[in-house]
Amino acid sequence: MDDEPVLGGAQDPEPSGVASAALRLRIHALVENQPFAVLCTGGDPQPYGSLIAFAITDDLRWATFATPVTTRKFQLLSRSDRVALLIDNRCRHQENMMEVEALTVTGRARQVSERRDLDRWSALLVGRHGYLKTFVRAPSVALFAVEIVRYFHVVRFQEVQQWAPAAEPGSSR
Amino acid sequence: MGTGGGAWIIPLNEAVDVPVTMVGGKAAVLGRLAGAGLPVARGVCLTVLAYESFITEGGLADVIRMELGRKSLDSMRWEELWDAALRIRSAFLTAPIPDRLAGAIRESLGRFDGRRPLAVRSSAPGEDSASRSFAGLHESVVGVAGADEVLTAVRVVWASLWSDAALLYRKELSLDPSSSRMAVLIQEMVSGEASGVAFARDPRDQTLDREIIEAVPGPCGNLVDGLVDPDRWILRHSSGEVLTWKGGERESTDTAPPLLETHEVSTIHGTLNVVEQLLGWPPDLEWTDGHAALTVLQARPITSGSVRDGEDARTWYLTLRPTFERLRALATRVADVLIPELSREAARLAGDELEAMTDDQLARAIEHRHDVLQHWRGVYHDEFIPFAHGVRYLGAYYNDAVRPDDPYEFLGLLRGERFLAAQRNEEVHSLAKELRAEPGLLAALERCGAGSDGVGPTQWRAWRETVGACPGGPGFVDRLEQIARAHFDTAFGDARLADRPDLLVSLVTRLARASDGVSRTAPVETQALEERLYAGVGPARRKEASDVLAIGRLSWRLRDDDNVLMGRLEGQLLLGLAIGAARLRARGRLEGDGPGEAQAGQVAEALRGHSTDPVMLGPRASAEAPGAGAASAAPRQLIGQPASPGLATGPARIVRTAEDLGRFHAGDVLVCDAIQPTMTQVVPLAAAIVERRGGMLIHGAIIARELGIPCVNGVARVTDLVTDGEALTVDGHLGIVSVGAPEFDLETAGPTRAVATS
Repeated sequence: MDDEPVLGGAQDPEPSGVASAALRLRIHALVENQPFAVLCTGGDPQPYGSLIAFAITDDLRWATFATPVTTRKFQLLSRSDRVALLIDNRCRHQENMMEVEALTVTGRARQVSERRDLDRWSALLVGRHGYLKTFVRAPSVALFAVEIVRYFHVVRFQEVQQWAPAAEPGSSR
Repeated sequence: MGTGGGAWIIPLNEAVDVPVTMVGGKAAVLGRLAGAGLPVARGVCLTVLAYESFITEGGLADVIRMELGRKSLDSMRWEELWDAALRIRSAFLTAPIPDRLAGAIRESLGRFDGRRPLAVRSSAPGEDSASRSFAGLHESVVGVAGADEVLTAVRVVWASLWSDAALLYRKELSLDPSSSRMAVLIQEMVSGEASGVAFARDPRDQTLDREIIEAVPGPCGNLVDGLVDPDRWILRHSSGEVLTWKGGERESTDTAPPLLETHEVSTIHGTLNVVEQLLGWPPDLEWTDGHAALTVLQARPITSGSVRDGEDARTWYLTLRPTFERLRALATRVADVLIPELSREAARLAGDELEAMTDDQLARAIEHRHDVLQHWRGVYHDEFIPFAHGVRYLGAYYNDAVRPDDPYEFLGLLRGERFLAAQRNEEVHSLAKELRAEPGLLAALERCGAGSDGVGPTQWRAWRETVGACPGGPGFVDRLEQIARAHFDTAFGDARLADRPDLLVSLVTRLARASDGVSRTAPVETQALEERLYAGVGPARRKEASDVLAIGRLSWRLRDDDNVLMGRLEGQLLLGLAIGAARLRARGRLEGDGPGEAQAGQVAEALRGHSTDPVMLGPRASAEAPGAGAASAAPRQLIGQPASPGLATGPARIVRTAEDLGRFHAGDVLVCDAIQPTMTQVVPLAAAIVERRGGMLIHGAIIARELGIPCVNGVARVTDLVTDGEALTVDGHLGIVSVGAPEFDLETAGPTRAVATS
């Protein structure tokens, strides 16, 4: 896998529209380069985390993943649709925390059940993870679409910016 | 590099300066020989870059990673590797070759004469060296004509990098399969009047001043496959002087003259010397000789495995996939000779009046039974197991011809075979059905069994009276005893099932309660599959396909029957032991558990002995010993192979012994090492099946699919990791076994330790 391109320059003061576009590019680059995420599910009272293979739509508004219905995460998702995804490039920068870039993505997950939607979302997921073709089609697997509310983008250990796709001018669903 | 396909394709005579990592060992060597003017058949080489383009663009790299990454290679049994190899091969055969690459291959064929058939051969980097040889493990396709056939053959050869035998051999050599690549050599076929192999040194002792030439009439394949006995010359290496000649055994009994003239032997000797000087090591050559011209087919370093009687790991892995000719010979012997003989042997032993024998006679009978069993176990290993490959041969043959989406579609061709076990199960189910119609009798049988953890023949006599008094009782008892005699005079572990009628009673009552019919999957159109096969091979090969189908079906049926018949032999040994043990115990001369098969010698000795000292049997080998350290880490989700689709939950019932069979209830998840044909009668009660042994073609997987029961197999150490009674969810779609319910009991139970505050 190629290293992520360094895009934008969040440290430089810029007009807000430019900064937002730059951040969007950085977010896009990071999700493009990282095929896996940690899915965080709520629980009452116990939260849980699982590694998942995911794909995100080009407009960064939706993410999708699949899970067997026998799993703990499926059980938790059926109780609460509020989720977070952690996506990061720490595997590239194990020596220097300052170079790690991370995203915490918040949103709401819903199980996809309509035939047409299933085809669309599974095509997105399988397009990125070809090896999941059989897995996604299995009757005991549920496909989820996450409507993304917000991205928290973290660099240099503690520098955090947020970006909400719904607030992006000109974006449409 | 190269022409036409750029880095993908190189004419053989230009391969001389190309690294072996690019063209593979076979092509690199032949390229050097061709470059030096030695007679080598015209050819082109598809480099490993062509292979990489194919697997990357076709998504096959993902398929390989999924198949081989799901479990560690070390924990995969041969059957599982075979399955993975079948699925990989199927994916290779159905994936298109990228257009540009296919175009380049077609274009490269313009170099050939066009009239001669082609050979498409593997040439993997690192394939052959002085310390290892993949000869025969990767495939070659001969007699290929036309561009489309070449493209198919190339895919077959690429796929053979992932054949079961090649994977096993790499595992043995600790080679990383993920770094394996395959180049392919396409050559014009040259088939002389005589062909053979030649060793520049004696492979058994390379320090001797000797070389060996072997020759057979016609193509070399007959020699390599061991189908024809060769003429053999031993020469003095330093001078070329012939030391000995031995003619091969031919069908004609007349003494035939040597296959090679003296000058032809000299030519081969000279070629060996030239090749050795060129390559720097003494070669093992394959050659063919026609029209007074010698052609070198292959040259590789001599390995100890080069001698055909050598027994290395590669030789053994090759026996895992016998040729069709070998299967045909085995079919005749197994079906016409061995199975009837085994069946007669079991019947003969069952006819012995053991109770009437003196102690001495009984001791001899026990030893005889033990010997008979050992003999048949040898036959099982040497002939029944290789013949079981017939069904795998059919699977690969069907997939090559039909290229179905589901690589296991061919299993539909095997439905309806009359197994011994299937006949037994049908009779048991029919009895259960009759019992369902007699509620009073059913209730009486359940009352007998309530609170009983199993009874022996004595208590069975009491039950018999109770049950016989019910309406329909006498007829039921007769049928039950008749089924027990006909089908349950067999061993399960160290128990003889005929001694445990209570197990059969509990099975029949539970089956009667379970449902009014066994669930069945949709009927398979066997006839339609046959027609697909015949259409796939074409009219010219219809007879061949019909033979392959017949052998596959026979292999399928006999691999089940042989296990049932072996169980009968084991049962006869146990019967002798039980009678002997009863006599010894009555005299106070036997103490300890058993006896089982392992104590046959001790019991026989004790029966003969004149001493009055008691014989101590050691504790019976426990099948229940869990693996070390199993308790410390609790499994939550176990991975195996999805062997029969479906999703089901139920309590785990670990079956190791006959007692466990008796405890098996409807709705339990059957967990065992491997389902044997001697236990399939309980399977219809199971909610799902989980086995340690993996494979799509093993008994458990087959019966589960036939009954529509979810099955996951190939779950390492499952009988150690799962506890009896634990809730299991079996996902036969994905090959996942979830242990227990998803809960957070530990997290929500509150703090168990005080947190230090200072």
